[in-house]
Amino acid sequence: MDYFEPKSLDEALSLLAKHGHEAKVIAGGTDVMVDIKYKEEPGCLVNIKKISGLGGIQENGGSLRIGSLATIRDVETSSLVRDKLPVLWESAHQFASLQIRNTATIGGNICRASPSGETLAPLLVLEAKGKLAFSEGEKTEPFMSFFQGPGKTSLGTKGLLTEIDVPFPAEGSRGVYLKHAVRGAMDIAMVGVAVLITPDAARNTLQDVRIGLGAVAPTPIRASKTEALLRGKSLTVALLKEAAAMAAAESSPISDQRSSGEYRRWIVEALTRRGLEQTWKAATGKEVA
Amino acid sequence: MKKKVTLTVNGEEHEIEIEANRLLLQVLRDTLGLTGTKEGCSIGVCGACSVIIDGRVVSSCLTLAAACAGKKIETIEGLAEDGRLHPLQQAFIEYGGFQCGICTPGQIMAAKSLLDENPKPTEDEVKEWMSGNLCRCTGYYKILEAVMAVVNNKIDPDFAFRKREQTAKIQSLDVYKSVAKTN
Ligand SMILES: Cc1cc2nc3c(=O)[nH]c(=O)nc-3n(C[C@H](O)[C@H](O)[C@H](O)COP(=O)(O)OP(=O)(O)OC[C@H]3O[C@@H](n4cnc5c(N)ncnc54)[C@H](O)[C@@H]3O)c2cc1C
Ligand code: FES
Ligand code: FES
Repeated sequence: MDYFEPKSLDEALSLLAKHGHEAKVIAGGTDVMVDIKYKEEPGCLVNIKKISGLGGIQENGGSLRIGSLATIRDVETSSLVRDKLPVLWESAHQFASLQIRNTATIGGNICRASPSGETLAPLLVLEAKGKLAFSEGEKTEPFMSFFQGPGKTSLGTKGLLTEIDVPFPAEGSRGVYLKHAVRGAMDIAMVGVAVLITPDAARNTLQDVRIGLGAVAPTPIRASKTEALLRGKSLTVALLKEAAAMAAAESSPISDQRSSGEYRRWIVEALTRRGLEQTWKAATGKEVA
Repeated sequence: MKKKVTLTVNGEEHEIEIEANRLLLQVLRDTLGLTGTKEGCSIGVCGACSVIIDGRVVSSCLTLAAACAGKKIETIEGLAEDGRLHPLQQAFIEYGGFQCGICTPGQIMAAKSLLDENPKPTEDEVKEWMSGNLCRCTGYYKILEAVMAVVNNKIDPDFAFRKREQTAKIQSLDVYKSVAKTN
């Protein structure tokens, strides 16, 4: 196996162009190293950790710019993330062990495109965008269209994710990320649900509702029918029940060693209900009536 | 493809030539002979292989050795100074923080990285920090007790000495000698 440590983005991109399918990008390596051990060794590894300018977390106008090499621990310990993007913070906090959080990068979590990737449902509800670099140039793409299937993204084999742009949610909005796993944070999520709501000025109705579901479809998804059902309404007990069932119906979970698809659907229903209830209370100061 | 790299382990530089796919864990144990770092699961789940790189505790079983050039690596072997155990090592002995000992170097390195960053953590902070370090013998309470003993300055620097004295005394007893012989 060949091994390269490019010092610049251009150098990395030309290595990818030259080695094509033989090449594998490695950042923190917490996915790649396990694959090397249990699947197969690539022809060459392109370690992007020595490229400067791909890390860091900064405020940038109305959004947060997170470098793709920022570790999950960087995200978890960033007071900017904690204050402004609690939904994302919660997913970084409930992410594996400290040893893994110290190593894993947010870019790796995104580019791995695992349906259960912890940060993905939060990034979908926050309507974040990725900055993608190719030899032909750069482009910005919302994560809504970025994920194409398990392990498949619009980067293909030739592109690199350089940064993540996360707009701050509207004033007055509230969000939560709820993870269901047997061993809590230490385990890959069986289901992850991110909910972000914005009440109207009088705090009587849901002006905006966004629900992201992880680990229950080939990619992380937004429960868009459920969002449409809720938008503009006041959250009642009956509506909450209907919405939670609809979110479960929008998911298409598989059965695997972690749980059956049927069980996952039940969990989507429970977590969606819980997420809506919690955010409604936090945003409006009212109980679901 | 062999690569020449210089690894700085416990303050000492080692120039080595390794295959690019070699893990830090393998290089520490097999190339440098530092077998204190243990291998448990090999996939980042158990924490037995924990080492500190540039101040952060990580799993050496998921770390490419070649990617560690120029970084500061700390392992369990670097903790004792001039024959004196590190307070955490001392506390694990005094408080019975291990049985088989396989997980212990990882436990201690994880705890060290915590105390380096925050010398006065609460019990809950210790639990959360160390939840990636599994132990299948001791039960976690004694490990927690050992770490909290260091936090609260409750270790006895003469403990090891007293223990040695006691062991010598036991071994000098006639009754012990006859048992030792028959075994
Ligand atoms: C014990 C253990 C527990 C885990 N627990 C969790 C968990 O709770 N939740 C969770 O979501 N994940 C978990 N994971 C999975 C993994 O840690 C995460 O997906 C992590 O974020 C991957 O980041 P990395 O930097 O290590 O990626 P790497 O392994 O380096 O790369 C991952 C993938 O992304 C590609 N890649 C990386 N960076 C870029 C880039 N900038 N541009 C283009 N492609 C790129 C790589 O080619 C590879 O395909 C766990 C893994 C282990 C070993
Ligand atoms: S051997 Fe590395 S974490 Fe288990
Ligand atoms: S002492 Fe045996 S595994 Fe912890």
